[in-house]
Amino acid sequence: MSDPSQRPVGRRTFLQVAGAAGAASVAAGCSPRAAVQKLVPWIVPPDDVVPGQPLFYRTLCRECAAGCGVTARTREGRAVKLEGNPEDPIGRGALCARGQAALQALYHPERFKGPLRRGAGGALAPTSWDEAEDALAQALAAAQAKGPGRIRLLTRLEPGATGAVQRAFMKAVGARPEDRVVLEPLDPAPLRRASEALFGRAELPVLDLSAARSIVSFGADLVETWLSPVELARQLAAARGRLGAERARLTWVGPRLALTGVSADRWIRCRSGGELAVALGILRALVEPARGVPVPEELRAVVPRLQRLAPEELAARAGVPSGELERLARELARRRPSALLGPGAQAQGPEATQLAAVVLLANVALGNVGRTLRYGLDAREDVPSSAADLRALLGAMSAGEVDVLLVQHADPVGTLPTALHAADALAKVPLVASFALRPDATTARAHLVLPDHHTLESFGDAVARDGVVNLAQPVMTPLADTRQAMQVLLELGGKLPVPASFPSTDPYDVVLARAAEHATRATGAPPADVAPVHREALQRGGYWWDPEPRPPVRLRPGAAEPFLALPPPPAADGALDLVVFPTALRGDGRGADLPWLRDVPDALSSVSWSPWLEVSPATAARLGVGTGDLVSIETAAGRAEVPAYVFAGIRDDAVALPLGAEVLSVLPASAGAAFYWAARATVARAGRRTRLPLLEGSPYQHARELVPVVTAAAPSPRRPDLSARMYREPDHPEHRWAMVIDLDRCTGCQACVVACTAENNVPVMGADAAREGRYMGWIRVERYLGDEPGGELDVRLLLMLCQHCTNAPCEPVCPVYATYHTPEGLNAQIYNRCVGTRYCSNNCPYKVRTFNWRDARFERPLDLQLNPDVTVRSRGVMEKCTFCIQRIRYAENLARDEGRHVADGEIQPACAQTCPAQAITFGDAKDPASRVSRLARDGRAFRALEAVNAGPAITYLARVRPEAEP
Amino acid sequence: MSATESFRSIEDTVRATHGRPGPAYWIGLALAGGVAAFGAWSYSLIVRTGLHWTGLQRPGMWGNLITDFVFWVGIAHSGTLISAILFLFRARFRTAVYRVAEMMTVFAVMTAGLYPILHLGRPWFAYWLFPYPNQRELWVNFRSPLIWDVFAISTYLIVSTVFLLVGVAPDAAALRERATGWRRRLYAVLAFGWRGTDEQWRHYTRAYLFFAAFATPLVVSVHSVVSWDFAVSVLPGWHSTLFPPYFVAGAILSGVAMVILILVPLRRAFRLEALITPHHLDMLARLIVLTGLVVTYSYATEILLALQEPAGDPERSTFLYRMTGPYAPVFWTMVLCNCVGPVLLIIPAVRRRTAVLFGICVAITVGMWLERFNIVVTSLSHDRLPFDWRVYVPTWVEWAVTAGAFGWFFFLFLVGLKLVPPVSIAELKEEAAHAPAGAEEATHGR
Repeated sequence: MSDPSQRPVGRRTFLQVAGAAGAASVAAGCSPRAAVQKLVPWIVPPDDVVPGQPLFYRTLCRECAAGCGVTARTREGRAVKLEGNPEDPIGRGALCARGQAALQALYHPERFKGPLRRGAGGALAPTSWDEAEDALAQALAAAQAKGPGRIRLLTRLEPGATGAVQRAFMKAVGARPEDRVVLEPLDPAPLRRASEALFGRAELPVLDLSAARSIVSFGADLVETWLSPVELARQLAAARGRLGAERARLTWVGPRLALTGVSADRWIRCRSGGELAVALGILRALVEPARGVPVPEELRAVVPRLQRLAPEELAARAGVPSGELERLARELARRRPSALLGPGAQAQGPEATQLAAVVLLANVALGNVGRTLRYGLDAREDVPSSAADLRALLGAMSAGEVDVLLVQHADPVGTLPTALHAADALAKVPLVASFALRPDATTARAHLVLPDHHTLESFGDAVARDGVVNLAQPVMTPLADTRQAMQVLLELGGKLPVPASFPSTDPYDVVLARAAEHATRATGAPPADVAPVHREALQRGGYWWDPEPRPPVRLRPGAAEPFLALPPPPAADGALDLVVFPTALRGDGRGADLPWLRDVPDALSSVSWSPWLEVSPATAARLGVGTGDLVSIETAAGRAEVPAYVFAGIRDDAVALPLGAEVLSVLPASAGAAFYWAARATVARAGRRTRLPLLEGSPYQHARELVPVVTAAAPSPRRPDLSARMYREPDHPEHRWAMVIDLDRCTGCQACVVACTAENNVPVMGADAAREGRYMGWIRVERYLGDEPGGELDVRLLLMLCQHCTNAPCEPVCPVYATYHTPEGLNAQIYNRCVGTRYCSNNCPYKVRTFNWRDARFERPLDLQLNPDVTVRSRGVMEKCTFCIQRIRYAENLARDEGRHVADGEIQPACAQTCPAQAITFGDAKDPASRVSRLARDGRAFRALEAVNAGPAITYLARVRPEAEP
Repeated sequence: MSATESFRSIEDTVRATHGRPGPAYWIGLALAGGVAAFGAWSYSLIVRTGLHWTGLQRPGMWGNLITDFVFWVGIAHSGTLISAILFLFRARFRTAVYRVAEMMTVFAVMTAGLYPILHLGRPWFAYWLFPYPNQRELWVNFRSPLIWDVFAISTYLIVSTVFLLVGVAPDAAALRERATGWRRRLYAVLAFGWRGTDEQWRHYTRAYLFFAAFATPLVVSVHSVVSWDFAVSVLPGWHSTLFPPYFVAGAILSGVAMVILILVPLRRAFRLEALITPHHLDMLARLIVLTGLVVTYSYATEILLALQEPAGDPERSTFLYRMTGPYAPVFWTMVLCNCVGPVLLIIPAVRRRTAVLFGICVAITVGMWLERFNIVVTSLSHDRLPFDWRVYVPTWVEWAVTAGAFGWFFFLFLVGLKLVPPVSIAELKEEAAHAPAGAEEATHGR
């Protein structure tokens, strides 16, 4: 053991500081204020910090623009797990994979420990906050004196107090409104543009898919990154949860099957850029008089114009059989209401705004606007800038017109196409100040680094939409000498030549001042004293109210016509279409340095740790490449080398790349509203090979019927007869914990996988381990593409985790009883008894056990995230899913203390808790009335590898396939 | 030749093997020791930082080291078969070869027993597999075939060692009479006070018969137990009732091949041609034919039964994978070595040519190692969920540890040769005494 005094922050020191924070939180109600400098000894322990007992704080997730509310579980003063806030109207208790991983941004080992200033030698060196702020204030004063436009602010979307302070600050330094540029690369800017053009409102619709009976997505990856994925996944599950004809049908339109497309019932395999022709074809078919669909008054004027478009020509330009668009339009006409969504990042190109407009027009034609697409709810607290605005900023920077650039959580160099030359533009700015938490491509070029607090260390709020204000509060003491960016701006305001009149430099006061307004809207009357009202809101997580109805949007006369032009024909240059797409795990690529998000294999390609180029089998054969072969991609913008992944879910005339730092060099600089555009690319074999870290062995079911589906005609999967019994079943005197996984709801978004990793201290072993097949996750998404190689594409997902079998094959083979069956039906693993024969894994039909090939490393301060209720396993032992036994014990102990039985639904393993689609249900199979028992009796029920007769505790509900078209 | 002279010549011939070793011996010993030491060093890497040095991964959690274990247990088998079963059957050709076979058994079990321990994730807790009383009140799981292994291997090691030492006692006494220095003391210990009295001979023959009877069932049971490591699992390719007889036959095949591999150079190096004659080799070759045919039959049965299953059956899929998948070269080499090789020995002209016989035995040894690899590895890498299929390729560390087994075995054997008479003096004398002059000629001269 090392001497505790030698360590920078010893456990005791940490606990003392943490305790002090806790004590302060008691004094301030339920929420800790900024760091308190006094140490309070444990002799007088704070009332609500009981060692060993978790403490929960409601706060906010800022990993994407959706703004879900979260509950942070803290233990002994440190956040150990994030979960959705069950009261939050957006997430409703669910949290996506990226939200779960926000903890790793908090505990990232590379986080800046304090302010840095670039010295004469060109290296960033530590400085003090006073010095750093003074230096910045001086530069600001000098720039301000030169006139407007010399000071610019580049920020991520800040729909709350931070954004308000930013705007006030920029006003104080004399900047124009356009000097603050909001960079949100995945923002569906074309949809905003189209809304503005058609309805006169530059805002996004708020969706209600649960009412829709058919949904068409034009590349909008709504279960992955589009708008508000957690909310949309829940709505989609609700829409598809209805039985029979009421069940919503989802159609995916695009050249490549995304995860959202896997959830779809139909895939219109149009060429890249062909989405516009598809949308036009649908719109044209909808206004056909013979359709029997009344054409809304507003659209009457454009009918003749639409009828001039030849359906065959549209189908040809979309690259799909002509009957397909007609069929889809028929279905949409029949199944109303519906929702046509798009475009998503992978359907964006020069015609993205036109596509968005045609999609909106089709929604108008079907009467969806106001029903499934609701306008007027976008609070417009903060609006992302378009790509054109950013180009203007970069142009000004390059021209030397900018003296000071403040960068707040935006990384133009690391997330935008290199063709924009953001790095060169940055080099022309005399002072770049970044508020980043950890190093990125922009801080590498910054002169001042003023590290912000993580959201979990800050006060703040976020107006997700009209009627939803989620609040952020610190859940723990800041880990390092960081300072909330909002506070820095407020302090800088005071140091300007003409000091800004900010009432306070404390972010809490700013949030509190805004709270009065929220509270007024929420309750209908201004509160007498906002402090207690706000304290309640903090405990709840936000202010939520039903917004007053707005007047419906109306199509502006003449607005539609410009969007009805025939799309250009496909280029015939022999190149391939390059589609770029965000993924559920890595978003636009910004999450790529969080180990959990890198280590979890992509649900579709099963690749981790590496970018990949999706190539269809036919194209791969033509290019002479296989999975793992490096291919060079050359576009007008540049060149990159990426390993190929042969994937049957993509058109032969297209290749696809996930967004990330590695692909930025080949992306064209967009000239439209969106930041990412598809391109034409020349793809060739590079001649070298890499070992791609792949989880998948064979993507085919090999006629084994592993993942059955049901239809209206065959509503139940075939199950083997297991009535013959040779052995006595184990007794479960009190409980038999069991799980039901509804594969019809599961989208493969991997939120459960990351939640499990966070909850159970599952180690991240790195890229080499992943290459060697030593991924440690306890749950995985098994993705089958079809029955046999070369057969029909039929993607099916199977969430695989320990099945906690009644006759578990792993149990009898362990020579030392390291694994055994508990009286509650759990298949327990005793880590410190395990000697590592690994026979249990060999005998496990589900292969859900992972072995610790080496000792895991949790680099400081990542170790602070470790869940104290779960052992960190050493090398040489087996581990696997425990059904979150620590949560079961917690609930059981609580129930015993309160003298009652454990209630159904009281225990939620991390995976079930976080699932946006609520696909996972956990409970007691001994109780016939429990939800899990009722679901297990469903006709769609089956068990994995049932014929092995291990008696798994997990019941799957088969995916429903729609009945054939009439 | 009178009986006394014949006795003396036998004794001299055998004693000559214990003479001052030549450079070839030292080179051999250094080579074997070096390989063993390199294997041990390679293994120390695993002990230091973990099993990530191996090519193992899910689903293939067992690989080279378990293959080595099964292989060396198999090698151990024919020793007992030759010394005990053939003794009970009064197969006289065993006399000249059984001591080498027995030594091979003991050293092979000593090698085999190491590997299950080496492959553990936490080998320093290997003793937890023994049911010893402890204050934590922990007990072993007697339902686990791995515990059966612990008992099978330790029993086999004890019995085969005792059997070897019992046989050595009269020979040690004979050598003791003419030895000096530490050798005299060593033989005095190994002779257990042997004086060659009638009383001792009477007890000795009874005891030997008893041990032979005791060891015989072990030949069948130990490798059956080893086969249960696989057969009681639910893995396609392992879960088979055929395994016990199939494994026993395979074990004897590999063991006899190893005996021949040792005898052929041994009789040349130590001038034992008069004692270990072509007749003995011929009889051993016939044993290979028999067990080779049993093994071939087992392969055919397994494959044909699996192929009768419908498409989509994991068992069928596993066997097709063995024959056509990435491990197909392993499978077909195995078939060539274990099925075609032994069958060639049916032709007398083939099995009487020592060089050819030797070559075929090398092939069988390789083939039998590959057979175990084929069973252990291919079944695991192609189990029930296709999404998890993965190809296991051993790393250099595993190959080094595998080679270390051969180094360790031959090191022990070479040392043992210089300490224990490699041919039973007492039994050869007995044979010479009982055999009429003509018969002796017939036996040895063939």
